[in-house]
Amino acid sequence: MTFQLFISGISLGSVYALIAVGFAIVFSILKFSNFAHGGMISACAYIGYFFLSAFETPPPFAVTVLFTTVCGVLLALLVDVVAYRRIRRKQAPNIYYFLASITIAILIEQILSVFFGKNLYGYPAIFKNTTFNIGSIRFSSVDTLILMVSLAILAVLLYVINGTRIGLAIRAVAISPSTSRLMGMNSDVIIVVVFAIAGALAGISGVLLGMKYSVYPSLGPSMMIKGFIASVIGGLGSLGGAITAAVALGIVEIFLTYWIGSLSAPIVLFGIMLVFLAIRPEGISGRFAKDKV
Amino acid sequence: MGVILDIRGLKVFYGIHEAVCGVDMEINEGEITAVIGSNGAGKTTIINAISGMVPRQGEIRYSGAPLPAQANRVVRQGVVQVPEGRKIFAGLTVEENLTAGAYTVKNRKEIERLLQEQYEMFPRLKERRRQDAGTLSGGEQQMLAICRGLMAKPKVLMLDEPSLGLAPVVVNEVFHNIQRICQEGITVILVEQNAKKSLSICDRAYVIETGRVVISGTGGEMLENPEVASAYLGTARDQ
Repeated sequence: MTFQLFISGISLGSVYALIAVGFAIVFSILKFSNFAHGGMISACAYIGYFFLSAFETPPPFAVTVLFTTVCGVLLALLVDVVAYRRIRRKQAPNIYYFLASITIAILIEQILSVFFGKNLYGYPAIFKNTTFNIGSIRFSSVDTLILMVSLAILAVLLYVINGTRIGLAIRAVAISPSTSRLMGMNSDVIIVVVFAIAGALAGISGVLLGMKYSVYPSLGPSMMIKGFIASVIGGLGSLGGAITAAVALGIVEIFLTYWIGSLSAPIVLFGIMLVFLAIRPEGISGRFAKDKV
Repeated sequence: MGVILDIRGLKVFYGIHEAVCGVDMEINEGEITAVIGSNGAGKTTIINAISGMVPRQGEIRYSGAPLPAQANRVVRQGVVQVPEGRKIFAGLTVEENLTAGAYTVKNRKEIERLLQEQYEMFPRLKERRRQDAGTLSGGEQQMLAICRGLMAKPKVLMLDEPSLGLAPVVVNEVFHNIQRICQEGITVILVEQNAKKSLSICDRAYVIETGRVVISGTGGEMLENPEVASAYLGTARDQ
């Protein structure tokens, strides 16, 4: 049983990790907490649901993920144009970004509530068997799929950030936008690329969460809180730290839920959080992402 | 020698404050041009205007054609700035810093060749290439900043206060390398408060005061000029 809980915790943690890196990557560049990310996740969960149910026989999982990812990117670009671009042009203080992102988050959640809020939507089952056994250990099919997809996406993301030209540019702009411009980097383009990556991550995590839970308007925001916590514990702006913290958070949450129930678990969980922040406010990675001057 | 950068009536405003008030400069190809002046005279603003880092008025022609106003396009044209205070990407390794400098170079083999070139010039950078660039000493960071600029394959390299905060021995090394860079055919614009040193290695110099060119001439002429001597070389009286 312990091992199954452990696997289930890692699986949950890997989704938190997707959310946390979506959060952390925007923070690393623009130094604000992009709360719109939660609304985007909800929207993408619905998009995935309606895409799946638009067909007589549901399209393959991979196609659904791909479609939702593309929608996530488009949505992110739309949010950027509507809410963030003017702030960037005017070089306004970060607090405006923060306010705009909260506004967008609430806006998306309310729009979803108006149109779809009355019902819970469950994704059609994509597996015949909800569990499978390896030896004496039973695995949940959905959890395993989620784990595989999340790990694959995280691996791709880390490769892009650490191993490619655009990834180097993203890290350079995160450290200093003005110096990056002297390297011939177009920091505006890099910022849009980062929003697009965050949008793609929102799309993927939306579908994965939709599969695991039923879809409701505040699904994204409530999950995003966990991703946000993970990115703070990880050290804001650090992707490696965010992933580590997210997986740890998932495991702790599953065990706590098993031992003391789903109502009391968050109390202990958030208690641990506060203690952690008091002891090590700079996060796991041990580096504060410096604020823009 | 042709004029590679022709600057006419350059003006820069910060709000209503005029930081650069109509500067004319001719930068000759293959030469070292020094821009000297006291703190706050507008030297950095002038090269930031050339780099497209601040909005500017006036005309800048580069090899006869207008120089673009956007920073990333200026770099692509081969006009590269090594900023004041070095502005190393701390948190990235030495090699990543250099590679970031070659952002405008698309060819991987070419980037590799450029890297080897820098490592030959500064073997210390090669020893530390996997190290966080933020852990380098001031002198090493300045070398890294210059090499990072060279990674963009500049035709014109603008160095902003490369001697700032460095020990005298290290300053000599930096100036020696600036001369070497020039000998390789790269035009150098050297912005400095260290007037004596920069005048002794430059071909031409401009003295900037409150956003205007007040004196210009060859390096030798300037060293002899009593006004320059009194104001910037600290020989007659202290300003």
